[in-house]
Amino acid sequence: MSRRTSCLIANGLSITREGRVLLKDVSVEIKPAAITLILGHNGAGKTLLMRALHGLIPPDEGTIHSPPASRQRMVFQKPIMLRRTALQYFKFVCPGLRISDQHSWFDSAQLISQLDTPARRLSGGEQQKLALIGALAAQPKILFLDEPAASLDVEATMLIESLIAKACDAGTTIIMTSHNRAQAARLADQIIFMDHGSVKEQSDAKTFFQAPQSEAARHYLAFT
Amino acid sequence: MDLLSSFHLAASLLLSGDADLYEIIFLSLRVSLTSVSLALCIGLPLGAFLSSVIFPGRVAVIVSINTLLSMPPVVIGLLVYMLISRAGPLGFLDLLYSPTAMIIAQFLLIVPLSTALSRQLFEHLHHEYDPLFSSLQLSLWRRIIALLIDAKLSLVTIGLVSFGRAISEVGAVILVGGNIKHATRVMTSAIALETSRGELAFALALGIVLLIIALGVNLFSAALRARMDRADINV
Repeated sequence: MSRRTSCLIANGLSITREGRVLLKDVSVEIKPAAITLILGHNGAGKTLLMRALHGLIPPDEGTIHSPPASRQRMVFQKPIMLRRTALQYFKFVCPGLRISDQHSWFDSAQLISQLDTPARRLSGGEQQKLALIGALAAQPKILFLDEPAASLDVEATMLIESLIAKACDAGTTIIMTSHNRAQAARLADQIIFMDHGSVKEQSDAKTFFQAPQSEAARHYLAFT
Repeated sequence: MDLLSSFHLAASLLLSGDADLYEIIFLSLRVSLTSVSLALCIGLPLGAFLSSVIFPGRVAVIVSINTLLSMPPVVIGLLVYMLISRAGPLGFLDLLYSPTAMIIAQFLLIVPLSTALSRQLFEHLHHEYDPLFSSLQLSLWRRIIALLIDAKLSLVTIGLVSFGRAISEVGAVILVGGNIKHATRVMTSAIALETSRGELAFALALGIVLLIIALGVNLFSAALRARMDRADINV
């Protein structure tokens, strides 16, 4: 895959902390306007890789070619909520929108009744939705989502998945982690499978689920 | 004079609107409010800066500020005295024994306090917000403003603590103010003087005002804390 057909290319990323190798010679290519899921066991390095790709953690070795940081957004597994109302939080992460657009985003996430609720008082699912629409409203080229539906109920998960799918249809490249195999099968165009800090497999979702190439991936799929 | 009659006299002085007494009260409030306001303008952004930016010598700056915290007010008063006395480098400004000199001394007393308290507060907040700020590529300026806005109620508490420290301070203001009647006499210096002269009622009246102020500050602080807990915006 060349830079022309990739939205993000990382080559030979390695991160070592306190003598522990956390990422080992990781190379990935991310398709534009597609959903890429990073799968793997706990501690495989999924979140670390995503943070490195987003530029939050500088790698010790390797290079990353990606759109400018201003065209990227990230939603964290536990959304970081400011000590403000939901609307004030939204305005902070995505300034400059018209009031009608702000309300429209809140409407899309079924949060219109929560405009003036302190953001930290929202439920986990509502915080996740708020963080997601705040990121989507900025129309990023790449959106990183760290387990966006972890511990959410079915309804909230469906809404979040539909917002993600819509953003992808509109041209945003989505890179997300998940522990939910069913969700991965529903959403993913591309899978990056990680194990012990290395990428064991990168393929399109259909191939990954039907005919995983690596032993580690076969083992993972057998137990999830 | 027994304690009860001192209380009685103090109350009648307060209720009668004694001009000397209220002149002292208002001067104390003016000096302390001015010095605290100025000190917070420096201390709070400095605290936010120190919590948000890693730079060479940062630890040394923090240690210095923490050391200044424990410096006795009378030593700060002495330093200001040496600066503004006629032989000092700022002697030409003719500030000694003026309310301005007292404001400068209290300002120097409060800047380290407000910086140290706000740095701790902001450090906690910044640690929590840093991934979001970094993800949004916020400039240092926007980070500091965001921290100041989000911690605003806690910062009011720091302001109240600083005010309490400033208005109850006596050593520095006596040294640089001189405790001159109708010019630089504030509550604490007046209490010291009146007690030494045996005018316990007057001293007690001022003590009661100081206690009322302390009570007001604490009640306001507690109300703020309750409000922060209700809105879940406690830092």
